[in-house]
Amino acid sequence: MKKFGTGAIHFFLITVSIVSLFPFAWMLIGMTNSSAEVIKGKFSFGAEFSNNVAKLLEMTNLGTAFWNSTLIAVVGTIATLILSSMAGFGFEIYRTRGKDRLFGVLMLSMMMPFAAIMIPLFRMFSKMGLLDTPAAAILPSITTAFMIFFFMQNTKSFPRELLQAGRVDGLNEWSLFARVYMPTMKPTYAAAAIITFMNYWNNFLWPLIALQSQDKKTLPLVVSSLSSSYSPDYGVIMVAIVVTTLPTLLIFFLLQKQFVQGMLGSVK
Amino acid sequence: MKKRVSLLLLGTVTASLLAACGSSETTNTSGGTSNTTEPVGEAKQKVVAWAWDRAFNGGALDIAKELYAKDHPGFELEIVDMAKVDLEQKLNTNLASGVKGGLPDILLVNDPNIQKYVASYPGTFAEFTNKVDFSKFSPFKVDALTVDNKVYGVPFDIGVTGMFYRSDYIEQAGFKAADLENITWDRFIEIGKVVKEKTGKYMITMNPNDESLTSILLQSAGSWYITPDNKGNFVDNPAMTETLRVYKAIADAGIAKPVTGWSEYVGSFNSGDVATVVSGVWQVTGIMEAKDQSGKWKVAPIPKLNIDGAVNASNEGGSSWFVLEGSANKEAAMDFLATTIGGSSEFYERFLKEKGGVGSYIPAFSSEAYSQTSDFFGGQAIYTDFTKWSKEVPGISLGMYTQEAKDSLKNELPNILNGADLAKSLANIQKLFEQQVQ
Repeated sequence: MKKFGTGAIHFFLITVSIVSLFPFAWMLIGMTNSSAEVIKGKFSFGAEFSNNVAKLLEMTNLGTAFWNSTLIAVVGTIATLILSSMAGFGFEIYRTRGKDRLFGVLMLSMMMPFAAIMIPLFRMFSKMGLLDTPAAAILPSITTAFMIFFFMQNTKSFPRELLQAGRVDGLNEWSLFARVYMPTMKPTYAAAAIITFMNYWNNFLWPLIALQSQDKKTLPLVVSSLSSSYSPDYGVIMVAIVVTTLPTLLIFFLLQKQFVQGMLGSVK
Repeated sequence: MKKRVSLLLLGTVTASLLAACGSSETTNTSGGTSNTTEPVGEAKQKVVAWAWDRAFNGGALDIAKELYAKDHPGFELEIVDMAKVDLEQKLNTNLASGVKGGLPDILLVNDPNIQKYVASYPGTFAEFTNKVDFSKFSPFKVDALTVDNKVYGVPFDIGVTGMFYRSDYIEQAGFKAADLENITWDRFIEIGKVVKEKTGKYMITMNPNDESLTSILLQSAGSWYITPDNKGNFVDNPAMTETLRVYKAIADAGIAKPVTGWSEYVGSFNSGDVATVVSGVWQVTGIMEAKDQSGKWKVAPIPKLNIDGAVNASNEGGSSWFVLEGSANKEAAMDFLATTIGGSSEFYERFLKEKGGVGSYIPAFSSEAYSQTSDFFGGQAIYTDFTKWSKEVPGISLGMYTQEAKDSLKNELPNILNGADLAKSLANIQKLFEQQVQ
C-alpha cells in the first residue's frame, strides 16, 4: 500500500514537473530556431541562435532596457524591504492606541484593484513631475500591504527577549532594528526580496503608463512591443524572453534555501 | 468598529475625489499655458511619434523622415514603439486623466478606432481636411477617416484583400487559375470540396474567435456590423444574412481547418495545410515566410457574396496617422505627415520596396515599384492586382462600436454554426449589442 502510494506520488509529481517545465524547454529551444520553425512547432535545437540574438540587438535597445529594469528592481526591492520591514516591526512590537484599526485600513488597501487607482496615480505623478523617471516606476509599490503583513506575521515569532537584552545593553530602537532584528530575520528578508524583486521586474501596467520615452523602457515593455508586430519574429521574441527570465531565475536559485526557510518563518 | 472603518473609507474617498477636482483645475490651467505658447513650426524641437511594430510602421516613419529631412534639415523625430494594445491603454489613460504631458505629437491609430477616438475625445486630434489632397487616396480609406465631413489624420497602410492560393494544389484538383477569378463564395465551396477530396488539403482556415472573415465578407458588400449612426446592423441586413449563411456553409462543407490563434493560422499555410488564404495584402510577408513554397503561390480576387452591390474586393485592417491638437509641435508634425505620407509617391514606392507595405495613395500605383513581378508568386505582378482591387473596395463607415458588435456576434456564432434559426440568432445578436452599448 505504502509502495503504491509513493509510486502514485512520483507519477503525479513527474507529470506536474513536465507540465511546468515544458514552457521553459519550449522557450530555450525556440531561441535557437527561426520564426517559421517555431510556428511549425519544431521541437529540437536549431542553428538560428546567433542570428536571433543579432536581430534582437538590432531591433531593440536591449542593454538600456536591461539596465532600466535592473535599476528599478534593485532600488525598488531595497527600499521596499527597508520600509515594509520597519512597518511590520513597528506594528508587531510596539503597542499604540488604534494600531489594529490602522492595520485594518491598511489591509483594505489590498483589495483595491490597481486599475482603479491608476488614473489618480498618473495625475499625481504628473503633478510631481516624476513621469518618465525610474522613480515613477519605483514609488507606487514601495510599501505594499502584503509586504507589511508578511513582515508582521514573521515578526510574531521573533523572540522579544532579544530586544530586552539589547535595551539593557543600551541600544536605542534604531540600533535594535538594524543590529538585532535585521540579522535575525535574514530568511524573511530573503523571501521578501524574491517576491518583491519579481514584482518589480515583471511589473507591466504601471511602467507602461508612467514611462514614456524609448530609452526609459523596461524589459517587459520591450518584449510586449516585439510580440505585437504584424509578422512577429518568434525566434527573436524567445531570446528576449529568456533574457527577461534569467535574472529572476538567478535570484531565486541564489536565495532558494533562505526562501523556503523564510516562508516557514525565520525563527523556529 | 465596522462603522468607524466605513466612515474612514468614506472620508478617504471624498478626500481623493476633492483632490482630483482640485488637480483638474490646475492641469487645465497648465494646459492653457502650453496652448498659448506658439507652435515652434520648423524649429529644432523633437517630434515624438507613438507606433506599434517598429520594423514596419516605425520603418515607414524612418523613410518619411529621410525624405522630409532633405528640405527640412534639423528635423528630429523620436519613434516610441509599443504593442498596439499598450499604445491604446496608454493613450486612454493619458486622455482620461486630462494630463497633456507625455503625450506624443504623432500617433498611429487602427482604422476601426478612429471614430471612437474622435467622438470620445473631441478637440483632441488635429484636422487635416485642407492639409492633404484626399482625392488622391482610395475613397474607402478616406471614408474611414471622415467624421462629420472633417478628415482627421493621414491615410496610411491598407489591407486590401486577396485570395492567396496554392496553384499546385488547385491544379492537382483539376482547376486552372482562371477557375478562381471573380467567383462567388458558393463556387468557392464547390471547388473546396473537390480540393479536399483530391489533395486531402483543407481549402481555408476558420477561427471561431476571430471575426476577420465575416468582416471581409461584410465590407465586400458595402455593409458593416453597425450602421453609420452606430446602431446594430444585424436584423434586416441582407449582407449580414448572406455573410453568415456563407460562413456556416463553409463550416458545414468540412473544407475549413479549424485554428485557434494567430500563430496556428500562420502555421497552417506555412506548413502547407491549406490551399487558400483570404486575407489583407500585408499577409504577403507572412506567406513568403515559408521560403520552400516559392513559386507555388498566386493571388486571385476574393470570392463575392451572392447579393446586389457585392464586389470581389474588400479590406482587412489598416491604420492612419493622427496628430494631437494640443501638442507643442503640432504644425511641424502636421507638415511632416502631409508632405510625406500624405502626398509623396516616392514615399509609397519606398514603403513597398523596403517594407512590403501598401498604401492607398493612387499616384504611386502606376510607379515601377508597384508593377514589379514576384517570383514567389509565380511571376505575378501582385501589387498591380492589389492596387486595382483597392479601387473597388466599397467605402463604409466603421462607426464607434465595431468591437462591441463583433463581440455580440462572436457570442452567438456557435449557435449559428450548430444550425439555429438564423433570423432568430440575428435578433439575439442585435439585442445583445444594444444592451452592451446602452
